[in-house]
Amino acid sequence: MYANFDLLVPDELDQALTMIGGAKTAEDCAPLGGGTNLVVDMRASGKAPAALVSVARLPGLRGITIAEGTVTLGAATTVSDLLRDPRMLEVGAAMVDGSRVFAGQMVRNTATVAGNICCGSPAADLVPPLLALGASVTLRSAGGERTVPLDEYFTGYKTSVRRPDELLTSISWPVPAENSASRFYKLGRRKGDAITMVGVSVLVGMKDGVCSEVRIALGAVGPCVFRAKTAETVLKGKAPSPELVEQAARKAMEEAAPIDDVRATGAYRKQQVQVLVRRLLNQTIESLS
Amino acid sequence: MNKMDSAVPGEQNVSYRQIGKPRTRIDSPGKVFGKTPYAGDYVMPNMLHAKVLRSKLPSARMTRLDVSKARDLPGVACVLTYKDLKIGTVATDIPAQTGFRRRDTDQQILVDEIVRYQGEPIALVAAESVEIAEHALSLIEVELEPVPGVYDVFEAQKPDAPKVFGDDNIVASYKVRKGDVEAGFAAAETIVENTFRTQYIEHAFLEPEVGLGWEDEQGVINIRTSTQAVETFRYIADAIGIPHSKVRIRGALVGGGFGGKCDVTVELYIALLTLKTGRPVRLGYTREDSFYGHGKRHPFIISHKTGFAKDGRITASKIDITSESGPYAFMSPYVLMYATEAGPGPYLVDNVHIDSRSVATNNMYTSAFRGFGATQACIAYEQQMDEAAKVLGMDPIELRRINLLKTGDAIATGFEVQSAVWTEECMDRAWAALGEKPKDEGAIRYGHGIAAYQQGYGRMIWLHDTAEGWVGVEMDGTVVVRSGMTDIGAGQTSSLAQIAGELLGVDMMDITVYNSDSSTTPLAGTSSATRGLYMSGNAVRNAATAVRNRLAARAAQHFGVADSDIDFADSRVFVASDREKSLPFKELIATCASEGIHRSELAIFRAPFGDWIDPETGQGQVHPDYTYGAHAVQVAVDTETGEVTILKSVGAHDVGQCVNIAAVEGQIEGGVAQGHGYALSEELIYKDGCLVTPSLSEYLCPTSMDSPRIECIILESRSGLGPFGAKGIGEPGHTPAASAVANAVADAIGARVHDFPLTPEKIARAVSATRDNG
Ligand SMILES: Cc1cc2nc3c(=O)[nH]c(=O)nc-3n(C[C@H](O)[C@H](O)[C@H](O)COP(=O)(O)OP(=O)(O)OC[C@H]3O[C@@H](n4cnc5c(N)ncnc54)[C@H](O)[C@@H]3O)c2cc1C
Repeated sequence: MYANFDLLVPDELDQALTMIGGAKTAEDCAPLGGGTNLVVDMRASGKAPAALVSVARLPGLRGITIAEGTVTLGAATTVSDLLRDPRMLEVGAAMVDGSRVFAGQMVRNTATVAGNICCGSPAADLVPPLLALGASVTLRSAGGERTVPLDEYFTGYKTSVRRPDELLTSISWPVPAENSASRFYKLGRRKGDAITMVGVSVLVGMKDGVCSEVRIALGAVGPCVFRAKTAETVLKGKAPSPELVEQAARKAMEEAAPIDDVRATGAYRKQQVQVLVRRLLNQTIESLS
Repeated sequence: MNKMDSAVPGEQNVSYRQIGKPRTRIDSPGKVFGKTPYAGDYVMPNMLHAKVLRSKLPSARMTRLDVSKARDLPGVACVLTYKDLKIGTVATDIPAQTGFRRRDTDQQILVDEIVRYQGEPIALVAAESVEIAEHALSLIEVELEPVPGVYDVFEAQKPDAPKVFGDDNIVASYKVRKGDVEAGFAAAETIVENTFRTQYIEHAFLEPEVGLGWEDEQGVINIRTSTQAVETFRYIADAIGIPHSKVRIRGALVGGGFGGKCDVTVELYIALLTLKTGRPVRLGYTREDSFYGHGKRHPFIISHKTGFAKDGRITASKIDITSESGPYAFMSPYVLMYATEAGPGPYLVDNVHIDSRSVATNNMYTSAFRGFGATQACIAYEQQMDEAAKVLGMDPIELRRINLLKTGDAIATGFEVQSAVWTEECMDRAWAALGEKPKDEGAIRYGHGIAAYQQGYGRMIWLHDTAEGWVGVEMDGTVVVRSGMTDIGAGQTSSLAQIAGELLGVDMMDITVYNSDSSTTPLAGTSSATRGLYMSGNAVRNAATAVRNRLAARAAQHFGVADSDIDFADSRVFVASDREKSLPFKELIATCASEGIHRSELAIFRAPFGDWIDPETGQGQVHPDYTYGAHAVQVAVDTETGEVTILKSVGAHDVGQCVNIAAVEGQIEGGVAQGHGYALSEELIYKDGCLVTPSLSEYLCPTSMDSPRIECIILESRSGLGPFGAKGIGEPGHTPAASAVANAVADAIGARVHDFPLTPEKIARAVSATRDNG
């Protein structure tokens, strides 16, 4: 149950990057956000990385900036921070949906958005909204910095392109265009502190009567959160209609590849992808007309 | 809010000054200010830390057990296996007050050869630290050879099934034969048949099992633990082979139990390790240990066949009940008895035929859980009533009204309940509190559900239940109460203070209650079976009354009036007919002390004693008395996703006499939240005997975000057998809650999910099945 580790709490980013710079694997050294995933995993497995590097005291890493058409979240920004910022409704409504149904108050106060991405869980609730919003993440190491579209970040179940010596320092997405709307819905076995059975997020932008932008992201129905791109193309560039929405919902269902587990069967999850994609597309499209 | 009509007049010369008043519980300040320790907070210098090695397989033969490497590990003080045990077995029976102990149902303490369930303890380790103890567990070499087990109650009853218990896997079986069911069915206009299933669930009490043991200067093994039953000291003494007087158990004032802390768990391991090492030993379960380490709620499969006359009257009720016991008996026979007794519910049925049995399997063993089988019975009979109403085209409330037992009617076992039966009034009040059902919108449908119930309180009368209590007055006029009654959250101690305070005219906050000590507080029995207030409250009432009578006699002499004209209030004694004549209570006490008048009393309370019900007919008396009430629920169901939101949840109960409103509401609210989880989300899933929901991440109790405000409607018939006419409410608040949720969901979706829990997936499937059927 108990595993020993060193807790490092740097107060300069460079220091932090040096500390994780030597890490070859996540067992050597891992970044620590709120610890709401990491510490739980450590307790369950009885194993811990040799050292944890906390992002809590790194200057400038906590906060939300909106500038030059881009929304940027620092890596230490918590889920509660998102809920406290009234601008989020304007620039990322799906993130607000996701934050409201995220865990419970205590966990929201400490869980970071970066941690939600980096834990790599297919059921991570902020990842579908971020994918729908078209977010990218910035990865930084002692050697330099790169920006990766979130859509290309995950490579499989709990795997990603992030190297162990890299810290995710920020997350950003373009401020959504004028006539667009985004939503997220979490289907859980209960309302608080639930692991998602199916998570769906959509963003629809309308221009001249057609869907100029469509992104549909699915959680907990595959090895990682992913975009249902075939479903997106059904609507993209077209004038929305109930038939097209239905067709997109069906395509999304076909793209989902859920497993059976203690929470639900794969068959139910698949069916719910269709229900929820249909529902969220209808809601977003209705809100725009 | 409280109905104060009384069916039986209250005590003479007692005008309630504290009883039933909205007073803060005496245990609240300690909890609010963090002064009340958890059982896990107790530590001692030089103490060892213990761990338990458990079987990973549910059914196996142990072919090798080598603990030498663990014993050799530096820092390990002791490793115990079956070879080190003097006795080897421990009782699984109720620690009752008579010394009687059920035969042939003991459990092996540590596996000697055969493993019967996943998690069965194999070895105990005590070491200088938890880390060393854990390391030692990993050094123990165990070889387990799987043997075919049985994991289904119907498979287990087949002749060629592996034998887990006795020669037929039947742990207990009962029958009820009342009237003539065949004639009843012949007279019926409509017959309704349904089968309902309930699942394994976990108590999920706040503090997992934990205790600290040490040997004192008299050679007594002391154990401080969070328990509902200090009386288990006898079973522990028997199991470790020392006299009963050499084991002392003390409880904590917090931690929660819900039935899950009635059986012997960590206490026994602590006792063994303390005895062996001579050092203090602490054993604390993690939440995951707790999932494997104590008995669960019984899954039940209950089939109802009910005949109804044209007007809706029940003409016959035939019920078949199967519960799953797991490999050891524990409370299974008694739980089955409760379910059997409660089988047809709070309805007047002349023709009853019930067959019931509890079946052993290699799934986790089952034992006490709030409601004790009466809850599962309610889940079946109340869903059956709603299904019947649907078939009959009747309003579910009216169908119940026609059939409800009234005061003085005979229940299924033929016993005529003497106290008030106010089910109908409770049902009407709870239902009315729901108000209008909101209009359906899109995929969201609203539903209302009701459930009425009957729950016995006190022990089954053939267990000859007794409780003792001591009350004494100090020289300054403050009062001390001593009661062995445990109190790990429900507020028993506070109610005892309120009772003694009422009778002696001393404010409850000036009363100190010592409780939950098997050696120095008079034994009052366990806090289970909704007997806490009933039994310990009556014992303390008897003691306080005796003291009061002696003090009153002396005061009467002083004032020159009759004893009956003396009253006590606000720490004064006075003449009731002439209140100017009064004395400070402590002056009366000083007089009594100097004259050698006894200022304390040790009293006993005996519940009604009786014989077993007739084994052939199931007729006779089972419980001293019963609590009645009803619960109503409003839900919103998303018919596409199957998600349920509980919007309103209202419990209405006749508690006889409310002693402490905060405590009564606490019992109802807690029981209801537990009922919500039971209906919707909680389930321990065993796959071939192995738990696949082993932590609170897979096992889903409702959170605060899932819980609506719970409304309590408290009625007072003052007709119960408890102090001042109280009935029990510890279990009853819980009993109907899950059934009401199920009925509300069925009302919303127009279809019934017969198997608990009602998960979104099952609900969505039931909705699409009704659509497919047109
Ligand atoms: C009771 C409970 C309820 C929960 N409910 C939900 C829920 O509803 N929805 C949901 O999605 N999740 C939920 N979670 C999971 C968890 O809270 C979230 O995934 C959370 O966002 C993790 O963030 P954190 O800051 O706590 O991450 P940590 O636990 O600190 O870290 C998680 C992983 O990310 C890595 N990491 C953290 N920060 C960085 C960084 N800046 N750069 C690189 N790697 C990093 C860590 O090394 C670790 O591998 C719940 C957890 C609990 C305990």
